[in-house]
Amino acid sequence: MTMLSKSAARAFFLSGTLLFSAVFIWLTVDTFQRIPAQTNSDELTESVARGKQIWEENNCMGCHTLLGEGAYYAPELTRVYDRRGPAFIAQMLRDPEAVYPGQRRMVKYDFSEAQIDDMNAFFQWIGRMDLNGFPPEPTIGLAGAAPIPIPGGERPEIFSQVCTACHALGGIGGAIGPALDFVGDRFDRGYLMRWITDPQAVKPGTTMPKLGLTQEQRNEVVIFLSKQREGGL
Amino acid sequence: MKYESQKVAYWFFATCMLLLSLQLVYGFIMAFAHAGYDVLHPWVPFNAARASHNNLLVMWLLAGFMGAAYYIIPDECERPLYWPKLAYVQLIAFVIVGVTAIIGFHFNWWEGRKFLEIPRPLDYLVVVDVLLFVVNIGMTVWKGSKMTTTSIVLFFGLLMAAVLYLPGMIPTDHQTHDAFWRWWVVHLWVEGVWELIMGGILAYLLIRLTGVDREIVEKWLYVIVGFTFLSGILGTGHHYYFIGTPNYWLWIGGIFSALEPLAFLGMAIYGLALARKGGRNHPNRIALFWTVGCCVMSFVGAGFLGMAHTLPQVNLYTHGTLVTAMHGHMAFWGAYAMLVLAIMTYALPQLTGRKLFDTPSAIYAFWSTNIGMTAMTVAFGIAGVAQVYLERRAGMEFLDVQRELQVHFIGLILAATLFTSGIIAFIYNFIRYGWPVGDVEEPVPTGLRAAVPAE
Repeated sequence: MTMLSKSAARAFFLSGTLLFSAVFIWLTVDTFQRIPAQTNSDELTESVARGKQIWEENNCMGCHTLLGEGAYYAPELTRVYDRRGPAFIAQMLRDPEAVYPGQRRMVKYDFSEAQIDDMNAFFQWIGRMDLNGFPPEPTIGLAGAAPIPIPGGERPEIFSQVCTACHALGGIGGAIGPALDFVGDRFDRGYLMRWITDPQAVKPGTTMPKLGLTQEQRNEVVIFLSKQREGGL
Repeated sequence: MKYESQKVAYWFFATCMLLLSLQLVYGFIMAFAHAGYDVLHPWVPFNAARASHNNLLVMWLLAGFMGAAYYIIPDECERPLYWPKLAYVQLIAFVIVGVTAIIGFHFNWWEGRKFLEIPRPLDYLVVVDVLLFVVNIGMTVWKGSKMTTTSIVLFFGLLMAAVLYLPGMIPTDHQTHDAFWRWWVVHLWVEGVWELIMGGILAYLLIRLTGVDREIVEKWLYVIVGFTFLSGILGTGHHYYFIGTPNYWLWIGGIFSALEPLAFLGMAIYGLALARKGGRNHPNRIALFWTVGCCVMSFVGAGFLGMAHTLPQVNLYTHGTLVTAMHGHMAFWGAYAMLVLAIMTYALPQLTGRKLFDTPSAIYAFWSTNIGMTAMTVAFGIAGVAQVYLERRAGMEFLDVQRELQVHFIGLILAATLFTSGIIAFIYNFIRYGWPVGDVEEPVPTGLRAAVPAE
């Protein structure tokens, strides 16, 4: 490198920087032209914009990630609207510790119902973006293998969104509440209905939260659960 | 130290020490929360600790850069600071804005955008404050009797850091636009113009500590910052993989991020080579430790670990996991924290007139911080990789995975304790230096090969 003079080094620095800055600015312009189609900008309603504002005003990114960006203390929320659904999100925002009792804590914000709707609108819009394959689908272990067969047919959507957050069934779901395999052998429909309608009335002091499901959703879940019997397969 | 006005650097460095101490407190709060002991949650929820930890880091590094510039620029330009009093005003304003922001975080007053949490009204004050600083430095360079490459590179680094703060303030309702501009600030700072600042400060330190000819050092300075921008500007693309931007960023970001270690590798080789060629004879050996350590650790943390995590195929799984925290900790430590500690270690004997140099506590500070930070990086790395496999690959629930990871945070706390003991030793040394005085003669390397011949 004896050949290289200081002025040549300076020329390398200046020309490289100018060239790559120009390319970067050109790519930025191109990117902004493509973002609307990729992110459904036309569906960015005022409610979504208010949701984003609430997201920022409360520094939700200080614990959660969204589009994979933020802190790593609380769940990734990019696909939360599909994964958990609006009923669960609303209940979580009303009283986080009731939904995840005894777990890592979230601040209880006193959001109005309108603000909760805005958050749901925001998550719904985020969840529909084309993110070049993020977040990736699980590929190994339980999620990758054929699921353990369960009785009672397909899992209702509301069951997969809400109940699975804490309870496992057929090896899929959380470990916060007890597993629900063969729960139909242990409880009848009437008990299950009273239980998910108002857990405290059945068993005072239980950590099971009141989930605010509609009558129709409760019916669907109770019928499904009552089919979870050992001989049901 | 040649000029009385350089003394202001001491107060910037003292501010660094205070803010760094606070940063560590918030780090422990978060580590304990991750380990399952979120006992401070009602008063300091995780997001407040997190915003404080990150913003204190940015603030103490900026205070360090400003102190470094106030020390280096008069020296390089051979004239006193243009407005010495303004430097004090600007420091006080900086501290007030910073402390207001940190207090605000605890009362849910912030902007909730990663790394740019400072509330909007305070953003404007930050811009004004940094502009005052840039003008003061700029006038000193402009009116100086010499204009060296080192001072020009340092000045432009600082100027561009101020300018690039602005894209982060573009208002938008669109999350993708928001993230896009946010990285213009954060990425183009830490993997762009901050490296100019780093290059400038390192060049100054290496010239002073090793006695190698300025022409050689500055030639390599251009080559290295050239590589920084060549890779770093389009390397911004590694933040544009999964935020709703076109998929061409996957290969643009991937290729240019893979080149990013080159600049850091260059810096490591340059630091080591110059240290071997020149000095070893400068009385302030510990300053050379920090300088060369900075070159090496920035390559490991920012260069190597950064590249490992930004390959698109890897990042698809590691994006938004603790793997990012692994890379982030060692990158900021190696590249910028060590840099500020290096210039402080170099400047303190001249600022205070006390030649403590490599005392046992100074040596202890160097090794225990570096070993502690390496161990922290390993703890974050193991937790991060475990998270990737359990959550992203096997599909376990987030909270179930986090319970499995708690034990690694006990390891992290142990490593962080070692690290903190080193920082305490550093601060102990800082205090032992005492108050700044005027007019102190500069030590020069002894037994230099008077003129190192150009290769």
